[in-house]
Amino acid sequence: MIRKLLIANRGEIAVRIIRACREMGIETVAVYSEADRESLHTQLADEAICIGPGPSSESYLNMERIMSATMVSGADAIHPGFGFLSENARFAEICEQCNVTFVGPGSEVIRNLGNKQIARNTMKAAGVPVIPGTDRPIPDAKTGAREAKKIGYPVIIKAALGGGGKGMRTAFSPEEFELAFQTAQKEAQIAFGDGTMYIEHFVEHPRHIEFQILADSQGHVIHLGERDCSIQRNHQKMIEESPSAAVSEKLRNQMGKAAVKAAKAAHYVNAGTIEFLLEKNGNFYFMEMNTRIQVEHPVTEWVTGLDLVKEQIRIASGEALSVTQKDVKIQGHAIECRINAENPRKNFRPSPGTITALHLPGGQGIRVDTGIYTGYRIPPYYDSMLAKLIVHGENRQDAIAKMKSALGEVIIDGVDTNVDYQFDILNDPDFQSGNLDIEFLSTHEIGGVRINEV
Amino acid sequence: MKFNHAFKRTVRELPFYTEDKSVERPEVPDGLLKKCNACKSAVFVEEVRQNAYICPHCGNYFRVHAYRRIEMIADEGTFQEWDMGIRSENPLHYKGYQEKVEGLREKYNLDEAVVTGKAYIGGFPVVLGVCDSRFMMASMGQVVGEKIARAVEKATEEKLPVVLFACSGGARMQEGIVSLMQMAKTSAALKRHSDAGLLYVSVLTNPTTGGVTASFAMLGDIILAEPDALIGFAGPRVIEQTIGQKLPKGFQKSEFLLEHGFIDRIVERKNLRNTLKSILEMHSAQKEKVIPAGETEVLKKNAFEEEKPLKKVDAWEHVLLARDKERPTGTDYIERLFEDFTELHGDRYYGDDPAVIGGIARFHGMPVTVIVQEKGQGTKGCIAHNFGMVSPEGYRKSLRLMKQAEKFDRPVICLVDTPGAFCGLEAEERGQGEAIARNLYELSGLKVPVLSIVIGEGGSGGALAMAVADEVWMMENAIYSILSPEGFASILWKDSKRAKEAAGVMKLTARDLEKLGIVEHVIREREPLTRENMEKTADRIKDGISAFLAEYGALTKEELVERRYQRFRKM
Repeated sequence: MIRKLLIANRGEIAVRIIRACREMGIETVAVYSEADRESLHTQLADEAICIGPGPSSESYLNMERIMSATMVSGADAIHPGFGFLSENARFAEICEQCNVTFVGPGSEVIRNLGNKQIARNTMKAAGVPVIPGTDRPIPDAKTGAREAKKIGYPVIIKAALGGGGKGMRTAFSPEEFELAFQTAQKEAQIAFGDGTMYIEHFVEHPRHIEFQILADSQGHVIHLGERDCSIQRNHQKMIEESPSAAVSEKLRNQMGKAAVKAAKAAHYVNAGTIEFLLEKNGNFYFMEMNTRIQVEHPVTEWVTGLDLVKEQIRIASGEALSVTQKDVKIQGHAIECRINAENPRKNFRPSPGTITALHLPGGQGIRVDTGIYTGYRIPPYYDSMLAKLIVHGENRQDAIAKMKSALGEVIIDGVDTNVDYQFDILNDPDFQSGNLDIEFLSTHEIGGVRINEV
Repeated sequence: MKFNHAFKRTVRELPFYTEDKSVERPEVPDGLLKKCNACKSAVFVEEVRQNAYICPHCGNYFRVHAYRRIEMIADEGTFQEWDMGIRSENPLHYKGYQEKVEGLREKYNLDEAVVTGKAYIGGFPVVLGVCDSRFMMASMGQVVGEKIARAVEKATEEKLPVVLFACSGGARMQEGIVSLMQMAKTSAALKRHSDAGLLYVSVLTNPTTGGVTASFAMLGDIILAEPDALIGFAGPRVIEQTIGQKLPKGFQKSEFLLEHGFIDRIVERKNLRNTLKSILEMHSAQKEKVIPAGETEVLKKNAFEEEKPLKKVDAWEHVLLARDKERPTGTDYIERLFEDFTELHGDRYYGDDPAVIGGIARFHGMPVTVIVQEKGQGTKGCIAHNFGMVSPEGYRKSLRLMKQAEKFDRPVICLVDTPGAFCGLEAEERGQGEAIARNLYELSGLKVPVLSIVIGEGGSGGALAMAVADEVWMMENAIYSILSPEGFASILWKDSKRAKEAAGVMKLTARDLEKLGIVEHVIREREPLTRENMEKTADRIKDGISAFLAEYGALTKEELVERRYQRFRKM
């Protein structure tokens, strides 16, 4: 059993983990950078150790200093949170070498799932649907057209050395294929000096649907339903909810089974997330597996009644899961809004500064996970997320109403925030009717702002 | 803000570490971490290893053990070690020496302070020697000297290039005068190797000092160094004690040596293998492409013939065009005429003149030595390259590269663009006149084809020092003269303002010089050349160079030198 846990992270997630430990009677050690001397996690933990200057590369990413802090404090486990070292296989490996419990999967699993090709092959072999595509380069348009037919239209033609949209074309029908292929190949030839092309099925207007799974070291794997994270700006999620308006009970079972299969194929242990793209016609494809706790884990916690961080710690201690798949019931509807210190009107420019006054909502069905307080100075080195506002209602409509009310109560003086922008998303008729996909923010004008996808 | 009141502490559920011995406590195993001696931070040994023994935090270069270095440089599994088991006789009967050597041999499983043998780098066979600093700071005693001498001799015999990685404290004191003799022995072996026309690349790593610097380390045809390595004869501490002064920062570091003309390039460790590979490749490539005689005529026609007569331009206008800021400079031509240019620095005496850029490149795959006078671009660039005014170091660097080309039988292509040799105190102190004269003298007898192209200003002796060639060509808007029109007017008419008039009488345009037989060909500029519009012209120059190389490459060395002699003899 873990006795003393070091949290190799900062901000609200560090606070979240410390709270779980306090409830479990596990002593906590915070590590902090010079810029985080007064941060909440630094003050809330039982011990706190400074690990270097503000920039993450010299503090929260510095494995040597974090390991030294672990040894000095006598902690026997490390929770990496998300971001920073959470998906760094090397760090997990060092923990293993030093006999420190890493709250997460083994280093080998992290390494394999972190490699796109290995992950894709593993999933394909296990029968988890992946985006259909060619594994071998396509030499010419004729071969390409044959392959495209097999894959199914629409297809996207990509240069092997591609990037920045160059050497990339979509074809929606066999008639369009030849020209699209030749244009893409010519472009690739000019841009990268190499005309090696691949073809993949083009998933149109997909939703980002991810499944939370839990796996223990005894080999039990369960899923905790999905989260719909389609509201994103440049791959940064803004609003997440569970369940998804687009996932029926039947589809949930189907996708959940695939998620469990995926976790088993990867020999996964601990909490993890399988990301899928969900096509309008109900087809879904494995994208990647995240080997850490996620920002949006509270929505799953609320609809399932489980504490995921505590589950992580128990699993890491070698305990078996406390629940079986049968016990998992999705109840009500939860939504999370990420509140960031940024200005949506100025291209979401981060807004560091001091919080001069703060009021956060509360009450029934409202949860706030945050590390900020009145007088808190936001350091310029880290991401701009200030708080997560999570609500739980009987159904989606109820939850949206609750979120609107709660957002309307948020007061953060001293810095710019995206609270109004979030409020406007919730007011959008398409959002309210659940008609959304990952291009939502670039296809809808929200409060006078439209995102230009790069 | 810190809260005045503290949060309540966690109520512990389990007692912290009971006496229970079955619970294994976290511990950093031995050998997982070490300390960087530069930034003092702890680093993971494995990470350092994967990072080519460079501190991931501060970029400090750790010393690399000989066998690891071989792994990093040689093709996998190709290294065959030579001459193991040679033992020193302890010539001074120095007490405890034998025991120390035996102890180190056992401790590190090393034969001595240098590992030698044969390996392949990128498919090219080489004789490779690597010093290992763990063994008495890789000092050179009899065994080190012997192993290096034997390796070099064998390389001479097998006609192989030599690559030596130096890292040493110098001579081995415990072996006294016998150690000193190793300097002569290794140098002599390298002289024979060089006389056989073979390549030696020396790579200097931290630290290279004393008797090793003063022998094999500094004798490479090409000398590379890792960044920030200490390289010198006397150690900095000895110098400080002797002169009673503090040494400036960066003294005796690789960068200092580059600036002072003693090394060709500083190469980052990660690029060393590739750099060595490309140097080896450059020295083993096929000599030339055979172009049939008929074809050279076509190429020449492309390069030099004009469709319609030129419009007459006033001489002064040519002067202004030759000096124009938009005009391409030497580096623009290098970029467009050659491939894989590898710059080599330094005169090996005093400095590295930025007004001359030289090195090895390929021309249609064939290795050539390229030397250009570089004026620089933009105000900063012009200052950095001293406006193309060449110092004695520049001429000596170019001469060094020309001699190197002769050794490896590579043609030399010079691009001339200078207002004149640098006129200044320092230039005179270091023998500007001697440097120019030496170039004229040596170039006249250089046994490889030499082509010079005046691309801008051909200012006096400063230009001639790089234009004693088999053929001299000029760009249409280039000029070439005894001195600047301003200087001419000032000397003859005591009035530098009459430069325009002087230009008219000096016969400095390409056309005039072609008529006078000073230059063989004029390359037409359909419009005054700029960096933007030079592409097509560059293609025509390339055709001309192809024809030149085919024609002169076919001559014997004697014919070549005789023709060059006669070219100037009749002027």
